[in-house]
Amino acid sequence: MSRYLITGATTPIGEVLMRQLLSHSDTSAILAVGAEPLRNRAVEIDGRVRYLRMDLTRERNLRDLLYGIGRELEIEVILDMASHRSLSATGSRVRALNVLTRRRLLALAEEHPTLRRFVYRSYAEVYDVTTALPSLIDEAHPLDLRPDAPQWIRDRIEADLSVCTRMGMSRLSIAVLRTAECLGPRMGSQLHDYLSAGLCFRPLGYDPIVNLISEDDLGRALALAARSEAQGIFTIPGATTLPVSEIIRRTGRKQFSVPGPLMAPLYAARRTVLGTDFDYGLNRGRLHYGGVLAGARAEELLGYRPETAVTFPID
Amino acid sequence: MGDYPLGVGRRLVRAFLSRDLRDRADVLADKQGRGYDCFGANAAGSELALAATKPLYDRWFRVDSRGIENVPDEGATIIAANHSGTLPFDAFMLHADVLRYSSPPRLPRSVMDRFVPQLPFFGTLVARGGGISGSRRNVEHILETGQLLIVFPEGTVGIGKPFRDRYKLQEWRAGHAELSLRFRAPVVPTAIVGAEEQMPLLGRIDSLQLFGAPYLPIPITPFPLPVRYHVRYGEPIRLHEEFPGDPRDPTRIKAAAQRIKDAVQALIDQGLAEREGVFT
Repeated sequence: MSRYLITGATTPIGEVLMRQLLSHSDTSAILAVGAEPLRNRAVEIDGRVRYLRMDLTRERNLRDLLYGIGRELEIEVILDMASHRSLSATGSRVRALNVLTRRRLLALAEEHPTLRRFVYRSYAEVYDVTTALPSLIDEAHPLDLRPDAPQWIRDRIEADLSVCTRMGMSRLSIAVLRTAECLGPRMGSQLHDYLSAGLCFRPLGYDPIVNLISEDDLGRALALAARSEAQGIFTIPGATTLPVSEIIRRTGRKQFSVPGPLMAPLYAARRTVLGTDFDYGLNRGRLHYGGVLAGARAEELLGYRPETAVTFPID
Repeated sequence: MGDYPLGVGRRLVRAFLSRDLRDRADVLADKQGRGYDCFGANAAGSELALAATKPLYDRWFRVDSRGIENVPDEGATIIAANHSGTLPFDAFMLHADVLRYSSPPRLPRSVMDRFVPQLPFFGTLVARGGGISGSRRNVEHILETGQLLIVFPEGTVGIGKPFRDRYKLQEWRAGHAELSLRFRAPVVPTAIVGAEEQMPLLGRIDSLQLFGAPYLPIPITPFPLPVRYHVRYGEPIRLHEEFPGDPRDPTRIKAAAQRIKDAVQALIDQGLAEREGVFT
């Protein structure tokens, strides 16, 4: 397969992914779609890349994309990564991009003459983390279906499950990659926002293990999935497994442990005053108990193994 | 051991260890590397486990250990032991015993009840030293990766039984037998004699479930008595050879678990017959 459509292409991961795909000589076309201008000149000047700035929440745009230029380029694989990054973004327009776009894209792709594969980038945050569950998280791990979860997580779970329900029912081969957290700006990383404060509070007496994936590994996992025929859900771990305290230390931040019940009001105040994104309620489980992704299935079927550790400090 | 500099805290911990224990810790550190595994264990945690258990192991419980050579040098292995004593000092002593005397040194992965990670400080310390939460997927990973698992098939029922039932094995869960059959991992039956008398249970408050613990125990003594521990490892039992066939067959699993239970009870009886007194 060598002709790709990438949504969310202007994110840092989108750009890494494009570089990964372009490094293969059999990649003949990449149709990149994003909400912002493409910043990466090296990618832009490659004759194999066509970039479109587009609002994917409009169904007409999706139809034109797939059955206009998409048909013209004979796109074979969709790599779907477009979603709102900020937890603060809520409402029907946000849900339209996070969930409805996915459904429409899949439905249109199933009737498309040249498309054969659909790869959706999901998130490890969809998994529930409690002590009653294994700390080693594989594809069968329960999802975080709390009714009071913020829209950010509900949308991600709904989008993930929307794609999963088409597996085996669609003529497309479908893969969902639930990836470890990638620290960095413009990634929608809750942990990155948590670490952006000069002083990070931790629940007293807890120091759980967190697994992080580098941009390079994440881009490589997506590229491998795009070039594979393997179907199903894949948990994608990273090469960096560290306790929260060590992540804070390596990021060059100060840390202070406070009794657990104080965490929620402290971070609620921070969100209110500074307008930051980190939501303690969403992250409570993983700031108390460890949860690390198991990558056996991805290794066996996609040939993915984490290789590149996260480089600290993060920008 | 790796030639990276050690922090002040870790140097203090190492200063507390004898030369032999430091050497063992170095071998373990070489195996574990510099990082953390997916359950949170690391080399510094193993050293801390050795140091934290040293006064109890050497001075308080004066552990008499026999048969550690029955623990295989490598590969997926399950140590199945009895569990008693109101508070899990027996688990710490068994964990420490394997850390100290397995040859070559192996990091035991002791299965802890699911409420333990909810305990502040303690849950983290146990995880750093090699403890894992008792979920099926967790223990499967330990065996898949050829590590040494310690299980207490009686669970909290064993540790919270009345004093009159001492040294009588309680309801014996069968999960370890199923795992042994599936992963073809030998089971080393192990008896811990002495823990039953360390702090007899006066009563328990079932309605007080702090941090998810099933009950609040009320022991007769606030601290464990300085009883002497006797740890006895039996010969490894290869259940997959003794009970060939479908490893998921419930009848086969039940029979295999009973086989281990009988072996542990025999070792307990032997340990009781051999000991001269509760404190000697």
